[in-house]
Amino acid sequence: MKINGVQIDDTFAEAFPMKATRIIITAMTLKWAYRAANAIRGFASSVIACGIEADIERELKPSETPDGRPGISVMIFAMSMKDLEKHVATRVGQSVMTTATTACYSGLDSEQKVSMGKSLRFFGDGFQISKVVNKRRFWRIPVMHGEFIVEETAGVTKAIGGGNFLVLAKTARHGLAACEKAVEEIQKVPGVITAFPGGVVGSGSKVGSKYKFLTASTNEAYCPTLKGQVKSELSDEIGSVLEIVIDGLDEESINEAMRLGIKAACSFGPAKGICRISAGNYGGNLGPHLFHLRKLLK
Amino acid sequence: MSALIFTLKNQPKFTLDAAPLTPENLEGKTLTQIKNLKIIYGNKTSKLDTLFTVEGTDSSQIIIENSTDKLINAGQAMTKGSLTINGDAGDFLGQGMKNGTLTVIGNTGSWTGNAMSGGRININGNAGDYVGAGLPGDAFGMSNGLINIKGNAGDRVGDRMRRGIIIIQGKSGNYCGSRIHAGTIIVLDKVGKLPGEGMRRGTIILAKKPTHLSATFKSCGNLKMQFLRLLFTQLASIDDELSLFNKYGPEAHRFSGDLARNGKGELLILQHYK
Repeated sequence: MKINGVQIDDTFAEAFPMKATRIIITAMTLKWAYRAANAIRGFASSVIACGIEADIERELKPSETPDGRPGISVMIFAMSMKDLEKHVATRVGQSVMTTATTACYSGLDSEQKVSMGKSLRFFGDGFQISKVVNKRRFWRIPVMHGEFIVEETAGVTKAIGGGNFLVLAKTARHGLAACEKAVEEIQKVPGVITAFPGGVVGSGSKVGSKYKFLTASTNEAYCPTLKGQVKSELSDEIGSVLEIVIDGLDEESINEAMRLGIKAACSFGPAKGICRISAGNYGGNLGPHLFHLRKLLK
Repeated sequence: MSALIFTLKNQPKFTLDAAPLTPENLEGKTLTQIKNLKIIYGNKTSKLDTLFTVEGTDSSQIIIENSTDKLINAGQAMTKGSLTINGDAGDFLGQGMKNGTLTVIGNTGSWTGNAMSGGRININGNAGDYVGAGLPGDAFGMSNGLINIKGNAGDRVGDRMRRGIIIIQGKSGNYCGSRIHAGTIIVLDKVGKLPGEGMRRGTIILAKKPTHLSATFKSCGNLKMQFLRLLFTQLASIDDELSLFNKYGPEAHRFSGDLARNGKGELLILQHYK
């Protein structure tokens, strides 16, 4: 199968069940909401070492936020409720509450919940005030800029992490141009994020390592510098491989994001250095969600 | 299915206990069973159809027609559905209500929403004293839910309330929010003497400056309250009846108190409309 002259490998991306929450950060201006959102998604590229994967989902108009101010929707994914519980409260406390004029709300309505204000309220040192409005509990924490308002909990839902595809290009410059376009397209799909910096992974990994203390290590089969040294998946003309990893709330949204992303990358074609599209998997033995490239592009 | 309509045949001379006329109490009953229900009228028990004509089938939507202020305990302990009262209602409307919607087209007596723990009460007219308050001897008044009064309310609105929201679009009497433990009271017209007297926590929002404010409230100055922005946006989003909150802004003069009771409550006097 080829799209615009780009070879699509007959393979699949293998993804895992995760837990996800969506939080809404508002501030006096969109600029300050972005500052908080960028702080909370910092060091949240992969659960391997960061504990969570997080990214900005989209900007919100004042009419879409609980307090009528401009806002940002951020999605946070983790492997377990325990991880999510730990990281959401910590990150909202350190990244959102510390950002001037912000407030933080749940962006998901669900039975399962993680604490936000429930834990952070103690920062109010006894001056915090609880308010139930429209069946939602908020905490008003007096802070030096005025009041930090945070919803007691954020809804949690089942999600999928690890949808992916690989862009095999002549050079890193070619690959990056195609990936940037692909990420732009993926961002149009609601309910998905690309948590790595800029949405692109420069150092895709395989499971395990020759070193016992490592759970993940470099994916040598796709490293251009090791082509002659290991059993490589790369042909001669390929000089750079970049990966796009997608986390999403359901299979449909990941399917759509992968489809749009791959098509955007393929639009560059071989003339602009894009040779092949592939995907990362573990033989189908680890993750229950398989995204077959050729099937989703039909 | 059409709403279940109870029409009072005559204007009652004595108080009439309307507590049995709630969706959960009438659920699954045939029209004959409903007509044979016993209802307390004055100091006697009467068959329901001697006082009301009954028509309709849907017990989740109940309408009482020709109601007067003699009709007490309407919507008592209601847990679901809707009850609409065309006319006035007496004391203890929505007492112990847990969920559902109760609407009164006319006025209501005292103790509206007493011990209410959820749901919504809409009153198109005026309400008497002790809206959302606790009975003497009770530790708390209402513990959740929303009461929206389009007209005026009497004295001691929300006395000892624990949680919930009371909105008075008209005037409120004296001692509004007295002894409240928490919750929110909003008065959009004038308020009587000494609002928030003895309050421990909670918020009383006044659109107009009170004439008499206790000396035990301390000014925190004029502030832009982020909480007000959230509250008004959330209230306005509930339905069209509350969309009037879109015109209120976050600026308020904050007073904390009641310091006589080591109170951490607040009186917020709105400064500007949007």
